Amino acid sequence: MNGKFLTAMLSIFCIAVLSSSCRTAKDYSTHYYFKHELVLNSIEKSYSGIIKKTPFNIAFNNKAFTILTLEIKTDSITYRYEFDATEQRLTDTLIKYHLDTANIKQLIAAMQSIRCIWINNLDYYVDDKKKSLVFISIKTSASRSLFGYKKYYILTYFPQPQYFDEHGRLMLRRKRKEIHKINGGIFKRINDKICYTISEQYR
Amino acid sequence: MIKAYIFNKAIYTAIALCLLLSGHAKGSFVPLLPNDSSEISSIEKAVAFVDSIQDLAPSVFWPNVRPALFLENLKTNIYQPHSPYQGRGTNFCGYGALTYLFIQKDPLGYAQLLLKLFQEGEATYGATFFKPSTPIKSAAGKLSFKGVLDIRPAEQMWYLCLADHYKGYLNVLNRRYDPGDEDRMWASVNYAKFNRMVKKLLNYQSKAKGADLLHPLVGDLFLYISEHLKTGSVVLYINNRLVHKKNNARVKPGFPTHYIVLKEIIKKGNKITLVYWDYGGTTLIELTPALLKKITFGVAHYTKN
Repeated sequence: MNGKFLTAMLSIFCIAVLSSSCRTAKDYSTHYYFKHELVLNSIEKSYSGIIKKTPFNIAFNNKAFTILTLEIKTDSITYRYEFDATEQRLTDTLIKYHLDTANIKQLIAAMQSIRCIWINNLDYYVDDKKKSLVFISIKTSASRSLFGYKKYYILTYFPQPQYFDEHGRLMLRRKRKEIHKINGGIFKRINDKICYTISEQYR
Repeated sequence: MIKAYIFNKAIYTAIALCLLLSGHAKGSFVPLLPNDSSEISSIEKAVAFVDSIQDLAPSVFWPNVRPALFLENLKTNIYQPHSPYQGRGTNFCGYGALTYLFIQKDPLGYAQLLLKLFQEGEATYGATFFKPSTPIKSAAGKLSFKGVLDIRPAEQMWYLCLADHYKGYLNVLNRRYDPGDEDRMWASVNYAKFNRMVKKLLNYQSKAKGADLLHPLVGDLFLYISEHLKTGSVVLYINNRLVHKKNNARVKPGFPTHYIVLKEIIKKGNKITLVYWDYGGTTLIELTPALLKKITFGVAHYTKN
């Protein structure tokens, strides 16, 4: 009797754990994007505008989203600095590298507000031609799940419409024969220019 | 999902045990190779050589390497010696660091070797004879989603050749190339293998401190590195996951993951600034002495013969 009871309890526990981790992935699909559409799109628009002058990316390093790494790319060297988001040294550095201080500070605040852990501009190549996209990673609440090892909701913003197969997966070319993997991930359609995936790594 | 999680954990544990059980790459001076025939060349000679190559015919040995793109890649590497790019998500960082040292030492030799490999399917450099396997020849030119490496077939060919030729204990379970292996253990480079590659290929005199799971016992690490940087090339074997995080895992791997070629090290107060080469460019980062000690597993010092 005891054995049966234990088995039943164990089964219920396993089902609960499995369903909770699966639910997490579902929650962070297209719903997340539409819920935060305005903030996400403004982050992307702001970032795409600022990087035209000097490319950079921002990553948050701690749970509280207060410590960040700023990577500034110049022609000869990439500078990687770590700051507290509120410290003066951050402002001084932005001024030193002639970056748009006010807009970057706003961008940082917007990233903090939706737990956006990394924003970057990624290059990729199709038929030998260089193209680029904006890569936005969001830390999900899946990290609270016991077996929820896929923790990051990733969005990619393309400047031009993309190709998708019948399952909504991002494809590389018009012929739709090859899946377009980005950082090893398979992405799904939100709209013609925006895709998402759930990943174990934010970059 | 749970199965995949447990499987991943098991793989990591197995790798950690392999690393733990291997004790090598202890500090030692290695005698010079007696039969080395390589010469140190100038960048001007290398430029003249690559500029002299006009129409390159397709190679029967490398069906997916397009000659025009191959030549363009070769010229890029010679004109911009910092440009070798090991690819996003691959395990080619060790081969990338080796290539950077190679082009610094003998750019003409590098260009001639790659051209011969392309045209004849095999080639010799110094005492090393490269005869890549058939799967390598089919794969070169087809690697994709790796950033700019996608359009650099000469580098694809070269990194695949290196991974095919040099083997270490991390490659024991996966010795034959299958598509996608550039991201897996097939391409990984343990510390002893890296030092062996540099010594054998470049005929450098080498002094390597540290190991795959042990930090180097050198006293003041900053002093040790800065002193050795004055007299030769220094490659650091580091745990890149601590300075270039990819997730917020509470438990970080306690082993090295990346090779960087050091260009400069400066100490100011409690901050150490590292300037190094990796991924086709120079990066500057600031660290505390404690973090530098934590991330550094190997300090390899190379001097020219």
